[in-house]
Amino acid sequence: MTQPASLSLDQAPPFAVPFRFFLTAPLFALTAALVLLWQGPDLLSSRWNPALLGTTHLLTLGHMGLIMLGAILQMLPVVAGAPVGRPGLTAALVHTLGTGGIVLLCSGLIFTLPLALKLAMPTLGTALLLFAAMVVVTLRRALPHNMTVRAMRLAALMLAATALLGLTLLSNYAFGWWLQAREALTNLHLTWGLLGWVGILVVGVAYQVVPMFQLTPHYPARLTRWLAPALFVLLPGLALTNHAPRLRILLGTLLAAGFAAFALTTLWLQLKRRRKLPDVTLNFWRGGLLCLLLAIALWLTAQIAPAIGMTQSYSLLLGVLMIAGFAMSVINGMLYKIVPFLVWFHLQSRRGPSGPKVPNVREILPETRTARQMWLHFAALGTLLAAVLWPASFAYPAALLFGASNLWLWLNIVSASRTYHRVNAEIVRANASAA
Amino acid sequence: MAERVLDARWLEPPEPMELTLAAIDSLEPGDHLRLLIHRTPYMLFPILKEWGFSYQSHSNDDGTYEVLIWRKEQAAPSRTPP
Repeated sequence: MTQPASLSLDQAPPFAVPFRFFLTAPLFALTAALVLLWQGPDLLSSRWNPALLGTTHLLTLGHMGLIMLGAILQMLPVVAGAPVGRPGLTAALVHTLGTGGIVLLCSGLIFTLPLALKLAMPTLGTALLLFAAMVVVTLRRALPHNMTVRAMRLAALMLAATALLGLTLLSNYAFGWWLQAREALTNLHLTWGLLGWVGILVVGVAYQVVPMFQLTPHYPARLTRWLAPALFVLLPGLALTNHAPRLRILLGTLLAAGFAAFALTTLWLQLKRRRKLPDVTLNFWRGGLLCLLLAIALWLTAQIAPAIGMTQSYSLLLGVLMIAGFAMSVINGMLYKIVPFLVWFHLQSRRGPSGPKVPNVREILPETRTARQMWLHFAALGTLLAAVLWPASFAYPAALLFGASNLWLWLNIVSASRTYHRVNAEIVRANASAA
Repeated sequence: MAERVLDARWLEPPEPMELTLAAIDSLEPGDHLRLLIHRTPYMLFPILKEWGFSYQSHSNDDGTYEVLIWRKEQAAPSRTPP
């Protein structure tokens, strides 16, 4: 990081700030698996099926979104050198409104409840726009030449744009008014959401966490300087190309090239890491980046052979590759670094010198458990891709595997959180008897 | 007034922090720790403050860092190794 060592980080947010997000999120992915188990192959009949839209948002907002929000609240003081004002209150407000809004939105879409959709608009809209504004304002105080800061700010702006588009589409579902451009706006909404908010955020966070956790060389300076701003400029351009298919393909190809450059650079840096030890997080990253490259290859194939893009399974395959394949793999892998570290960090800072013993990170979350959950996740991913192509044979096995994988992820986070509370109680007792 | 040196360069996080806390836990009164590390350990600083230690970090020409750590009530050690 390029910051002075005098940086004051006394304001690392309390343990509960990120953990309330991390402990809730996998339950939404588990719910998505239960919806697939209940609806079966019918759920995968069309990308416009409202139940599938609801299930998709259980994953993008409920699972991925909550974890990303919690992780950003944790990271902001470190990358920005500026704490979030009143982190406990901000987290409580965003988390309560956010989870409430996600439950309303997804149940409204899955069970066709217009009232729930109407109520989801103010709750979810407030949570997401408040959060995006908070990130942009907090990062205004950050150092301008930190490339992660720059990417995070751009990702937050894309989150706001995605949320505003989402609210427009939601009002159309809730009030049933005529929206001629619904398909074009939906495509823009999911492109901005997955490539703008999720994609640019993963790119920016990778600049920090890949070299730090995997001891790789740094990303090339030219890539970190230009990639996120270039992606950010290209994405709004897509909005203007509705009636210019050639320009759309050009912009899309440039976007694909940008993300492919990021994926290939990251995989290459990981090959050059200093210590060649097996690592669960590294394998999650590799699987996720491979899915990103497969999604890019599929999109390019559909541009060359338009018949492929016309098939029902094309957009569903893209969605599974980008959501369950790329985003969920990378997020799951990062959680396995962040969660045990935060448990260890908070316990160490509270115990003081010569206090009770604190378990190390490998004891807080043993690799045997995280590795098995990872294989389950990738088995679920493969089965989900098969379920898109052959719903009758694979929808139920995919639901069971995907549910089991996310239940296991949740149990791993719960177990780390319980270790924190157990050891913290010992520290409180020791401090009380020493006083 | 002895110096203990801990070389934690290119260890996977949070191993450098774990080793540092173990080392300062067993520092004799008056001694200080010189930590050699490959990046600024931002997350270590709040714990040092919490534990009642002062620190001073500076970068070397080869891109690595040195962090001097001593008990708050002591005088700051010299930056050049004894």
